[in-house]
Parts: sequence; structure tokens; C-alpha cells
Amino acid sequence: MIEIKDIIEKYPREKRYTLAMLQDVQKQFNYIPRQALMMISEYVDTPLSSLYSMATFYKALSLKPKGKYIIKVCDGTACHIRSSMVLIDEIYNILKIRIGETTEDGMFSLETVNCLGSCAIAPVMVVNDKYYGKVTPAMVREIIKEYGGEKNE
Amino acid sequence: MIIKIDGKECTAQKGEYLLSIARRNGIEIPTLCHSDALPGIGSCRLCIVEVVEKGRSRVVTSCIFPVMGEIEVLTNSKKIRNMRKTLLMLYLARVPENEKIKKLAEEYGAVVPERFSADKSEDCILCGLCVKACESLGSSAISTVNRGVTKKVSTPYDEPSKECIGCGSCAYVCPTNAMKIKEKDGIRTIWNKDFKLIKCEKCGEYFATKEQIEYINKKKGFNLEDEMLCDKCKKKKAGERLKEVFEDYRE
Ligand code: SF4
Ligand code: FES
Repeated sequence: MIEIKDIIEKYPREKRYTLAMLQDVQKQFNYIPRQALMMISEYVDTPLSSLYSMATFYKALSLKPKGKYIIKVCDGTACHIRSSMVLIDEIYNILKIRIGETTEDGMFSLETVNCLGSCAIAPVMVVNDKYYGKVTPAMVREIIKEYGGEKNE
Repeated sequence: MIIKIDGKECTAQKGEYLLSIARRNGIEIPTLCHSDALPGIGSCRLCIVEVVEKGRSRVVTSCIFPVMGEIEVLTNSKKIRNMRKTLLMLYLARVPENEKIKKLAEEYGAVVPERFSADKSEDCILCGLCVKACESLGSSAISTVNRGVTKKVSTPYDEPSKECIGCGSCAYVCPTNAMKIKEKDGIRTIWNKDFKLIKCEKCGEYFATKEQIEYINKKKGFNLEDEMLCDKCKKKKAGERLKEVFEDYRE
């Protein structure tokens, strides 16, 4: 198993690699453990407060564990008009999570994004790196099933 | 070099910040996030002025605008007053009960439209000056956390910080007096942490926290413990010493 130390020590002890380290930690653990933040702080000799500021600023970083599958529903103008909120409601019906939340079993997280550049196929939904276009509530159910969700119904 | 501010001729050095030139010449420009003791952050934008150069005018932030040529400056034009009014309207919407902002808003005729609602107990305008002060004078215990509507100033994980030395620099620089420091029975409470205050050996007034003194000793490599005096008594003592030296010299 890869440890925090291994991830951090891939980089030189310089401040400018901080964000890269945080991104790698996020990728490995699906969140930034407290331990990691403290270790990086020591490694690049940067105050913990600055790292905490960074970790809470970027949407790609999270201090709470994220789900194995991250569902992103686009809520840009085009998707919004094409009822992206209905998809979000449907996801709540199935998984009982709202925007920014993660299912108790740690399988799914729900986020919204402001535009995925795929307005032609609005409304758009992405699970990890897979895109789904012209999504309907019925499709949401199918997609979640693909990833082993919906058991809790 | 000579620049003209509101019609007044002012001498300036190349690279000097416009705000300090203006202030030196008695021209008042409103500021919130500026402190003479700290590097400029340029976040509040209240210090905007119009700079006219080669017949063209543009708006700049005077606190971080280095003067490089012979310019003409308007600090209180209609355009600038209008822009400040908008800024103050937004600030007032965020901190509706804050005295400093209320006063400024009144001066510029800024009123908050009804559709804005805000937390009445909020006093922080998120200028970030406290964070800068903590970085330069304290120990980098606080930072801005989150972003957008949830942005705030705090310690990591909102917990009492290991780094904080209770120096109070953050509260001291805050333009809106948003930071609450409590002092009672020789204990200072700040950022959810309690600090024991130390008394001045001479006048008996509390003047610093134990952590603060330890921090200065460590950082500067000298021992303050030999002489626990507050600023006032220190100055007095230095004055007395000077007097002695002077009298010795006269004899
Ligand atoms: S607490 Fe004061 S100094 Fe700090 S960001 Fe808020 S207004 Fe600025
Ligand atoms: S004083 Fe210049 S931007 Fe705040």
C-alpha cells in the first residue's frame, strides 16, 4: 500500500510542489488526511494554515473522504435549463445524498460543476471520467446501477 | 519628480506608492486593507483613484500603485466616488451593523437594496489584513478558509492553533474591529485559545502573553526575560538612561 510519505517524497522539498503533492494525496486516498497536511507542512516548511487554506480553496481537494465514484452533475446554464436539478433530486431519491455529500458506504459522492463544455448534449452527468449526455431521471437510475448503487432501495 | 494630486503639486520618488505620496501631502484617500506596517494586499479596493496619463484616464488601486512617471491623479472624482459607493454598498450588505462601514457608507450615500440579507453579527469584510499581520508579525496561525460565500478567516480545522502565540496582531490591524479578543483576570482568549498574560515588572500592567515572549526570544535569539517591561516603561527607562548619559556628559 502506498503511504503518504511515498507520495510526498517523490517531490523535491520546495514550496512550489505543494499543490501537486496535495493532488496526488487526494487521488490516492480520495481525500486529504490530516496527517498528510501536517507532513507536507513540515516537508516544505510551510505553515499548516496556508496548506489548510489551499485545501479548502480548491474544489478538487477535499478534507472529508470522497466516494469511490464521484457523480458530477453539470449545472451550467444549458444543463440548468434542461432540468439538471431534476437529476439531482433523482440522485437524492436513490442514494440519499445531496450536493457535496457522500453515501454512508463511501461509494458515491455528488457534486455539481458549472459547465463541462458539452452543452449540446445537456443535461450532462459524469461518473468519475465517464460522460453521460441527454440524461433523464430514468437513466440516472440505470447509470447508478452500473456502479453497483441502488442496493439501499 | 513632481506629480499632481487633485491639482496639488507633490514631490515623489520613482517607485513610491501613490497612497503614501498622497497621505504625506495631506490628501486623504479612504482605505480598509492598508497598514503602514505591512506589505500592501490591495483587496478592499476602496483606495481607488483616477490616474491621467497622456490624456488617458484609468482607475488604479493607490495603495499598491508605484508611481513611475509624471502623472496627474484625481482622488475624489465623480467616477471614483460612484465606484466607492458601489463597493461600500456591497460591504454594508455583508456587515450591516459594523460602525466603520456604516459611517463610510453614509459618507458615500451607499444604501443596501432590500434583496440582500446578511448576518447581522458579521463584522469581517474578508480583506485578509489579519492574515498578513499574522504572517509577518505573528506565527502564521490563521488563514482564509474556503471560498465564495463560505469564505472566512480561521485557524486550521477551526481548532485552537498550536502556532498561535496570542499576540493579537490580527485584532490590532483589523479595519472593522471584527476580531474579538477577551481579556479577563490575566487571561487573554483569542481564536478559542487561552493565554496567560504577563505583568510589566514596573507598572504592573499586563502587556504580553507568555508564548509571545518565548516566541520573540527564540526568533531573535535574545532573552527578554531579564527585563519584563511593557512598551511604555521601556521607553521611560530608555529616556532615563539617555538623561543620565547626557548629564554625565555635561559634568
Ligand atoms: S477579520 Fe478584519 S482584518 Fe481579518 S479579514 Fe476580516 S476584516 Fe480583514
Ligand atoms: S487600501 Fe488599497 S485596496 Fe485596500
